[in-house]
Amino acid sequence: MAADEVRVAIKLGFSSGDITLIATAISELARNILSYARQGEILLRTVDGSNRTGILIVASDEGPGISDIRQALRDGFSTSGSLGMGLPGVRRLMDEFEITSEPMHGTTVKVKKWKQ
Amino acid sequence: MNEAVPEPMTQNPVEKGCEERYFQALRAYLEGAGEQALGQAYELGRTTVSEGKGILEFVAMHHAALQKLLSDHTTAGDATQVLRHAEEFLVEGLSPYEMTHRGFSDAIASLRHLNQTLEHEIQKIAHAVHDEAGQLLVAVHLALAEVARDLPSSMRGHLEPVTGLLDQLEKQLRRLSHELRPTVLDDLGLVPAIRFLADRVSKRTGLVIPVITRLEDRLPRNIETAVYRIVQEALTNAARHSGARNVRIRLERVGRVLRCAIADDGAGFETSAVLASQPRKGLGLLGIQERLSAVGGTLKIRSILGKGTELLIELPLEE
Repeated sequence: MAADEVRVAIKLGFSSGDITLIATAISELARNILSYARQGEILLRTVDGSNRTGILIVASDEGPGISDIRQALRDGFSTSGSLGMGLPGVRRLMDEFEITSEPMHGTTVKVKKWKQ
Repeated sequence: MNEAVPEPMTQNPVEKGCEERYFQALRAYLEGAGEQALGQAYELGRTTVSEGKGILEFVAMHHAALQKLLSDHTTAGDATQVLRHAEEFLVEGLSPYEMTHRGFSDAIASLRHLNQTLEHEIQKIAHAVHDEAGQLLVAVHLALAEVARDLPSSMRGHLEPVTGLLDQLEKQLRRLSHELRPTVLDDLGLVPAIRFLADRVSKRTGLVIPVITRLEDRLPRNIETAVYRIVQEALTNAARHSGARNVRIRLERVGRVLRCAIADDGAGFETSAVLASQPRKGLGLLGIQERLSAVGGTLKIRSILGKGTELLIELPLEE
């Protein structure tokens, strides 16, 4: 799902393990957009910290939004199989995670991963 | 010999539908379908994860599909390239497993943390019961003595039963506090606490309980607590159900492993039957297993009817 994005990450010099994690996060974010908002976009760019470089992924949609973000970030303990999937899963794969959502107006998830 | 039919390799073999879909998607990817096929790999991984299929089953499915494709001449070409693409596809399908793995690691960490918090709370309650309530009782005793002094001697006798009840209350509080959490465990460590416990149980029940160990160092707090609780539970079981006369406790450290064996010469039991039955009081063996798994330990039970029972506990110690 993420070949182009992976190319960006390779260019930044991420390890192959990290690249897999970044690609997984993108896949999951894309999946989230498809299942809740049907369409949206995922943007990637490099970010420079004080003494480090990283990748910023912004996934945004204009779907129905999330009314209870805390609930959405909680793991689905009810069904053991889904534990760790979805947004909580994305949060674990990345270094920084930020979400804003407005009911009826859509959701934006910004995640960052810094190069080790 | 009555050999059973060999079990299938996995309990929940990935369904045919899944295998077929995986095969089709992998073939499409090798034929250049790109992102769309990778998306299918990811979806299949997610499906098998949420159905509770194991990671090895997933890899077996990949292996079967790849083998079928490689024997198929239509995909013949640069073998290195085929393998590289197949690997990309597999990694995509496995990445949901990585996500759940992280989720479970976090959940385990939370459980451990919760366990520690609970122990800490218990310690606070034990302290309140023992020290604070104990001091109040002392104050009541003093006040009563003062009242007694002011009373005519004919009336003093009425206070005696009250003093007797207060003494009983004090004993009960002390026992309760000790059962909640013995201060000796915090102050002196595991071995003195176990010796103290063995001594008390021995006095109460008449069991002979030697504690054999050369262990001297303090161990991590969570380990000390877990082992103490387990020994406590095991002694309770031995005293209550086994009819044993002797219970031998051995503690030793072998490299990075802490080993604790608790053996009695009681009636023994059918291990499978006892493990399957619901414990009536306390947590019993189930509680021991839960405590152990929280600190990464294992439990082995050897019980012979008429000969006795041995619990063998092993715990990893971090450097």
